[in-house]
Amino acid sequence: MNGKIADVCIVGVGAVGGILAKQLTSAGLKVVAFERGPALKTAEYAQRDSISYIARPEQLEGVRHEPRIFRTSARQPGNLRYGTSPFNVLGGSMLLWTGQASRFMPGDFKVYSNEVASGLADRAGIDLRGYDVVDWPVGYDDLEPYYERFEWEFGVAGVAGMNPFAGPRQKPYPLPPLKMTARMQLFGEAAKRLGYHPFIGPAAVTSEPYRPPPPYDTRIPERPACVYCGHCNHYGCHVNAKASTLHTAIPVALQTGSLDLRTNCKVANITTDDRGLVTGVKYFDPSGALQEQRARVVILSAFVFEHVRLLLLSKGSKRFKNGLANSSGLVGKCFFGHGDMRVYGLFDNFIVNGFIGSGAAAMRIDDFNGNNFDHTALGFIRGGTVGCSGDGTPVSRMDIVPPDVRSWGKAYKEYFMRYYTRTFDVHMAPETLPRRDNCVDLDPRRRDRWGLPLPRVTFAFRENEKRMHLFLADIGERILREAGASKVWTELPRPAPTRQCGGTRMGADPKNSVVNGYCQSHDIPNLFIVGSSVFPTMSGYPATATISALAYRTAEYIERQRDWFH
Amino acid sequence: MKAKSQSLREYRGERLQALTVRQARFIDAIAARILPTTDTPGAVEAGAVFYIDRALAGPYPHLLSRYARGLRALDALAKTQFGAAFEKLNGVQKDAALSDLESGRITELHHGEGFFELLRTHVLEGVFGEPSYGGNRDMIGWKLVGFPGQQWGYSETYINKVVDLPPVTWEGLTKKPGQS
Repeated sequence: MNGKIADVCIVGVGAVGGILAKQLTSAGLKVVAFERGPALKTAEYAQRDSISYIARPEQLEGVRHEPRIFRTSARQPGNLRYGTSPFNVLGGSMLLWTGQASRFMPGDFKVYSNEVASGLADRAGIDLRGYDVVDWPVGYDDLEPYYERFEWEFGVAGVAGMNPFAGPRQKPYPLPPLKMTARMQLFGEAAKRLGYHPFIGPAAVTSEPYRPPPPYDTRIPERPACVYCGHCNHYGCHVNAKASTLHTAIPVALQTGSLDLRTNCKVANITTDDRGLVTGVKYFDPSGALQEQRARVVILSAFVFEHVRLLLLSKGSKRFKNGLANSSGLVGKCFFGHGDMRVYGLFDNFIVNGFIGSGAAAMRIDDFNGNNFDHTALGFIRGGTVGCSGDGTPVSRMDIVPPDVRSWGKAYKEYFMRYYTRTFDVHMAPETLPRRDNCVDLDPRRRDRWGLPLPRVTFAFRENEKRMHLFLADIGERILREAGASKVWTELPRPAPTRQCGGTRMGADPKNSVVNGYCQSHDIPNLFIVGSSVFPTMSGYPATATISALAYRTAEYIERQRDWFH
Repeated sequence: MKAKSQSLREYRGERLQALTVRQARFIDAIAARILPTTDTPGAVEAGAVFYIDRALAGPYPHLLSRYARGLRALDALAKTQFGAAFEKLNGVQKDAALSDLESGRITELHHGEGFFELLRTHVLEGVFGEPSYGGNRDMIGWKLVGFPGQQWGYSETYINKVVDLPPVTWEGLTKKPGQS
């Protein structure tokens, strides 16, 4: 397709890009898709290598994890960091994720109306000046059919109706839940005794061999069932029970004959014309040479950092001197994520064997997520999910040491020998409210291997989050004690947020948002930005189910614009 | 000449790739304090020093000088405080010297606490990491903590039960990825 104008150009082929490629090629559109990483074979990503995958993440730079700069205030120069997301390969972070596949809750889309404008924040006793909260322009009901399609095409295991806080659904989960593990049993029983509402978290991991039935996409190949090897988080799945577009959407898109997939190609900027439309992309091919691809529509689906960087780098004509799609000045602003935190528990009377199971197979509670609990006088709004966790090989667990045990020597050896199999964690994913001063921009000095400026993150948790973290730590400690732990201790969030969102948020008002409810730029109608970067606010849940639902919905919207493609 | 330099780099019957014999012996003395041999084997038996040697010969050549500086500073501290080289100290004295390193009290060494953390991490990776990286000999580290290694999968989830499977490495599995 070189030299020809593609119907659609997709930048980044992970969860979102894979779904978009399948949907758009199936609708008869000619798609060129760029992925900066390689297409790995199962044997290449499914090694059980805790040294390469856990201990030496910087060794994977370039191929897998790209560096970025992180700082907690605009006064610092910032340090180089490597995050596990995005994973720069075909299939994206879906190759390394645990498979947590929860939908957001209906209230998650209306935080401004329900919790700020309603006066709830005042009653909670939090001053939200400095925060910048807006409602989503789409609601749960708009996304429900697309959540369903995601669950049935990717094979989500779960129990419908078990979580009283979940939104209504038309269909049950396609697969029964994964096997119960010791930590699920202990957590579930304890949470129940405390009066909470434990449920089995939905997981995009096959509990049985699975292939989508009609009316879903039956072209998607069958996947075998999970074998409970315990190598989920940060590892590739050796049996491909864990859902990824690499084994579902991408092969179907390739089969159509309408997908020109270009791996190891790094998009450098987006080109524009005098009318203010995008015309394609410039990219570095595998040899490092700069090439151009023209397209009628460009879709960014490459994760938060790359979206912001590409928009800011693509200044083009005078019209876009502040970057593309940036008339609101909000590109890069209102960046946020989860403040992942853990409470650890040691069990003298129970063998937990945390290394067995499926990463996403967890018992959770939503009693302290979103707006599901009374916030009066708590000093914060919103909340987080609380669930059991604690998978990991000895290399992943060797730094988890109670505060009263020295981290080396005889005492450490005795501790680790006794408790490696007798521990689990309560993992909490507290959400963060958006602020303009939590942002992503371009580092003025440091560049990547293509000579492009590194994305620079400036981020700090503020009052609303800090109070929420302490509140949730108390809940986690209570559950572990009730479960019978003889010792518990808390690890509060590290400075950098995980499961990052924001930077190109969606909204109804072009003055305070970057894209509309179809992930379409307010400024440039043939430019789409799809992924967690469009979230105006989040939930205690990971983004995957929601970005996948948005991808299906955006694809459907683009397919309907027939006049664009003739 | 080549043969001679190779024999000089022989330590515990193996050829070193990055460390000198002196450095290897020193690291072994430290490893023996970080994860000591008790009634069960420790970091020395697990061959943590060979994991470190291969890491320095492979992806971390830039850390070799950091190791050299750190070890020299630790040895200098041992001589000042206890009047002998680190390796000649008794266990209590070695731990005292390592504690000084850990808490950044060795002022001659820039960011000594960081070097201690590096040592601790590398020694433990050398005990608990995959044997293919040179340490965790005979899966000693995995046997110590009850991790049965890289099983293809588990037929049950062993709730409150000891996992009585003999440990395996990925390379030792007969089934390979891509099969199901």
